[in-house]
Amino acid sequence: MALTDSDNPASFFFKGETGRNTRGLLRLIILCTIAAAAVASRLFSVIRFESIIHEFDPWFNFRATKYLVQHGFYAFWDWFDDRTWHPLGRVTGGTLYPGLMVTSGSIYHLLRFLAMPIDIRNICVLLAPAFSGLTAFATYLFTSEMSESPSAGLLAAVFMGIAPGYISRSVAGSYDNEAIAIFLLVYTFYLWIKAVKVGSIMWGALTALFYGYMVSAWGGYVFITNLLPLHAFVLICMGRYSPRLYVSYTTWYALGTLASMQIPFVGFLPIRSSDHMAALGVFGLIQLVAFTEFVRYQLPTKQFQTLLRASVFLVFGGAFAGLVLLTLSGTIAPWSGRFYSLWDTGYAKIHIPIIASVSEHQPTAWPAFFFDLNMLIWLFPAGVYMCFRSLKDEQVFIVIYAVLASYFAGVMVRLMLTLTPVVCVAAAMALSQILDTFLVASSPEDNSTDTSSSKANGAPSTANGSANANAIKDKLAAAFSPDTLRSTKSPVVGIYSYLSKSLIAGAITAYLLLFVLHCTWVTSNAYSSPSVVLASKLPDGSQHIIDDYREAYYWLRQNTAPTAKVMAWWDYGYQIGGMADRPTLVDNNTWNNTHIATVGKAMSSREEVSYPIMRQHEVDYVLVVFGGLLGYSGDDINKFLWMVRIAEGIWPDEIKERDFFTSRGEYRVDDEATPTMRNSLMYKMSYYNYNALFPAGQATDRVRGSKLPAAGPELSTVEEAFTSENWIIRIYKVKDLDNLGRNHQEAGAFEKGNKRKKAGKRRGPRVLRVE
Amino acid sequence: MRLRILGLIAGFLGLVSALSAQGNKVLVVLEDEADKSKYSQLWAGLSDRGFQLSYQTPKATGLSLFQHGVPAYTHLLLLPTKSKGLGPNLTPNLIVEFVNAGSNVLLTLSSETGVPSAIASLLLELDIALPPDRNSVVVDHFNYDAKSAGEGHDTLLLSSTKAKAGLKDYFSFPSGLLALPHPVGQVLGPASPLLSSIVKAPSTAYTHDSKSDSTTESIDDVFATGNQITLVSAFQARNSARFTVLGSAEALEDKWFDASVQLPSSSSNAKATAEKTSNKAFAAALTAWTFKETGVLKVESVNHRLAADTPKDSTSKAVTGHSFLNLEENPSIYRIKNNVHYTIALSEWSHNSWQPFQPATSDAVQLEFSMLSPFHRLNLSPSTTQSTANSTLLEADFTLPDQHGIFNFLVEYRRPFLTNIEEKRSVTVRHFAHDEWPRSFAISGAYPWIGGVWITIGAWVVFVALWLYSAPAKPRGELKVQGGKGGGR
Repeated sequence: MALTDSDNPASFFFKGETGRNTRGLLRLIILCTIAAAAVASRLFSVIRFESIIHEFDPWFNFRATKYLVQHGFYAFWDWFDDRTWHPLGRVTGGTLYPGLMVTSGSIYHLLRFLAMPIDIRNICVLLAPAFSGLTAFATYLFTSEMSESPSAGLLAAVFMGIAPGYISRSVAGSYDNEAIAIFLLVYTFYLWIKAVKVGSIMWGALTALFYGYMVSAWGGYVFITNLLPLHAFVLICMGRYSPRLYVSYTTWYALGTLASMQIPFVGFLPIRSSDHMAALGVFGLIQLVAFTEFVRYQLPTKQFQTLLRASVFLVFGGAFAGLVLLTLSGTIAPWSGRFYSLWDTGYAKIHIPIIASVSEHQPTAWPAFFFDLNMLIWLFPAGVYMCFRSLKDEQVFIVIYAVLASYFAGVMVRLMLTLTPVVCVAAAMALSQILDTFLVASSPEDNSTDTSSSKANGAPSTANGSANANAIKDKLAAAFSPDTLRSTKSPVVGIYSYLSKSLIAGAITAYLLLFVLHCTWVTSNAYSSPSVVLASKLPDGSQHIIDDYREAYYWLRQNTAPTAKVMAWWDYGYQIGGMADRPTLVDNNTWNNTHIATVGKAMSSREEVSYPIMRQHEVDYVLVVFGGLLGYSGDDINKFLWMVRIAEGIWPDEIKERDFFTSRGEYRVDDEATPTMRNSLMYKMSYYNYNALFPAGQATDRVRGSKLPAAGPELSTVEEAFTSENWIIRIYKVKDLDNLGRNHQEAGAFEKGNKRKKAGKRRGPRVLRVE
Repeated sequence: MRLRILGLIAGFLGLVSALSAQGNKVLVVLEDEADKSKYSQLWAGLSDRGFQLSYQTPKATGLSLFQHGVPAYTHLLLLPTKSKGLGPNLTPNLIVEFVNAGSNVLLTLSSETGVPSAIASLLLELDIALPPDRNSVVVDHFNYDAKSAGEGHDTLLLSSTKAKAGLKDYFSFPSGLLALPHPVGQVLGPASPLLSSIVKAPSTAYTHDSKSDSTTESIDDVFATGNQITLVSAFQARNSARFTVLGSAEALEDKWFDASVQLPSSSSNAKATAEKTSNKAFAAALTAWTFKETGVLKVESVNHRLAADTPKDSTSKAVTGHSFLNLEENPSIYRIKNNVHYTIALSEWSHNSWQPFQPATSDAVQLEFSMLSPFHRLNLSPSTTQSTANSTLLEADFTLPDQHGIFNFLVEYRRPFLTNIEEKRSVTVRHFAHDEWPRSFAISGAYPWIGGVWITIGAWVVFVALWLYSAPAKPRGELKVQGGKGGGR
């Protein structure tokens, strides 16, 4: 296929009208293959483990979906959940993004309608891979708008399909909002670019529609809400205002805002919170600009200049003053805490420990970029640079998107997700440029003919590097249209040597293959663990499944009353709700900081303090995660300081973080642990009876690598109810009040046979009974 | 099946004979089988009331409070023993376990035999302190029986005391004096709400070690004096098991049941005459209470529902169509600001039947509607519309608070001498559903906005109509075409 002569019969398929159809068909097949690859690479977890919902948040989404399927849409919309946040309950229907659940609910009902009754769990498990196929397609469309090279779109699609940065949130079982939100994000951007290019109300309305869908699906919609106005604003500042922009922006803003306000959780936020004010401001600005353009048409230039200057200052000053006034008076909510933490990475740690305590809100470590994006990360700047070469409206968008997303990804690990699409797009543009240049077997023609000849050829290029001389023309010149930057107008220097061509092509192929290898490796090793089930390797290399979580949750499910309240740190709230089906005090929807702090206080206080708290909240069981035996580092003792910090935020007089550190400022659990630490309920519950596993004095904590005190802690107000096989989950039952009115320490001492001191000889004044 | 029939028969038998609300098997532990005859009137009285008495000595091998892990007897009567403890089958731990299992204990003490230290430490668990001396006795130089204790002044004669306000009276006897020979005084812990005294010593009484020489004892060392000494005390555990301590075991003996006693003659009471004791009546009342023949409360039923007259005001108009407003009984979910009707039926066991429970005067059963803390605390009032033969219907109507969450209808009624009632019903109080808010046109404050919407729509239609049907003026044609391109596509 490398070289085809004009008399080759195959050339029939690559020339003229038939050629176009052939290329279209090929493109379709390639896209389908990409989608299949995207889905396939996300199935590791199902093959390794089983069809199971992963991690934490997906368990809630799964539970909500089941509720939706079981009770119908309106009941879901008005759902008051009395099995979480006991005893406050949660207005779940009004405090979630329903897009994900409604999507899988619709798929469920559609499949049933088509006489394919599929278990809702399997739909939920496989939703993310299915949508990643769609994301690949959306990326293709988006990139095709950016680059004239037909190969760029396909490359971007395949990158998007297998980039670990996106796979991390969309493997099978990762049933989270991001599963559909990234598709919606990319597709909304595609529609926006289309709208700006065409300037039609239809595309603007479609943008608004998908924006509304996005709002219903993920809190990250704010990214779009700010990126699109920023794009419009930059275009206006660049003097690129056009009626196309006006039409698409106003259409999007008006319809999109209305659509977003239909989601109860969002409600009036679009007109009341600072996060959304940029969109409103640009909406006002674009009206002004449009009006100015209109006036400029009517007035002589001199008068117009004066008028413009005066009005711009007046309006801008007025609007800004109004905004400040409204913010101060409280009509417009100030920026949310999560937003501040985007600018000041230390902000959350001081002011909102609950946000800082989430690992995915931490700043990104730099190797993570390479880990998640591999070679794309160094192609990415090249692609952004190429956007500057032909700086049309849509390329401006890519530049803005790239800058913003890079910053955010550096600040928060989980925003790597929003960076991935733009990296894929930019890298694909750069790579397609290289491929288009170096994969052409024939020598480049004279420069003068380049511009004319390139118009006729919209031939696709296959990403795997097989060169087709007829199909692929030199597309380099196509990037240069006469009215772009002057610096780019220099003549093209062609590649004539086969050696350099094959060298580069070979290198790129090798890189691509390495990329695929890396992605597969990362996906299979890092991102396919359900984290509900842990896997470890035995000495002989065979896989050993550690299933303590499910063991404990099923114990709860089968051995406790259906209304038994379980107190655990909020990380496990959704899992307990989903797997054990028991009411919890706090869960991963961290809407009530005080309630979480209450649990933190109960965990970090002495038993005598904790017990009344637990009684008041009607706690029946307490669940702690303990990794000391197995060396499982994500356990509660390691999270304990966050509990202390969050509790300290509410009760600074009663809980002090300092008390949990030794005088040398160390966080220890061994003999030198502080009394506060050793008397805390969490410490006691973690290490209760742990000594019994070891010979006397040999008890060691394998996570913190320290030897434990010879005498283990004593518990009086709770009693051990269950400990899982590897001691990862320990469940304690909260004792009822003593039947004889004693406190639990006294009752425990009596049962052990210790006689109470006679009350005969009392010091001090006698306390008389008053009746 | 056979078991079930047997159970039924047993149940019937129990119904016919037992007078206790709980059960009729009584274990009597006494030092010596020979002592049995001393209390023959008491045994006869108990048997007449339907109790099955078993007698054991502490050292008997077959003595066990539990059988197959559950209490073998419902009631335990402990008569004084001379030994230091009660043996391995009646350790304090076993007795506490017995009480925790819901069984009742009547413990009698006597200063003649002395109080075993095991008993003293058991009582300490209940927050009842005994004098440190083994043979301590309560002495009163004003209220003693002149006939039998003219020397020692240690047989106390007490007249019936009235129950305190707000408490029901179970122990008063109509006339006569209660004779308590050689009583052991108890001091109740200052704060325990589970304890209450049935008979207190007169204000002139004090404790005294009968074995020691009275002259060596200094006044400061007196263990307790006056009203602080309780002669008969009642302990009711959280599970309503009763533990009664009778300071004088001899008061139950036959000879004191029909003895005649006489208060000392003094200046204020010059004409003291011999009287018959009312020990028999008191013993009957005391055993009746301890063995749950009196003062046992039962919740017959708890009902809550939406009030029948849920107002049709503007906010709840939308609700009437909602499915759950069909006044179903005990729904698990309510909405904020619903009007709710709560009823609880209480009955009290009185010797042989369930009677409607009447709280004491100046007392009331209260209902709390609580989440973390009570949002409502209401006195329940007897129903005027409904009545049943053996229970009182107490009810309350109220409006749910404007706070959603998981609430409890909680009736917690703990009074001395009455078994505890803790009736908790959890309900969910949800928020307004999306279709339960008043419609916009029902809110007068919304008229400007509704007007604004329709004016905008109307103006737009008019504008479009004008735009479409007005011919473009010639000199500005170009301009309008551009504008049309922008806005029309």
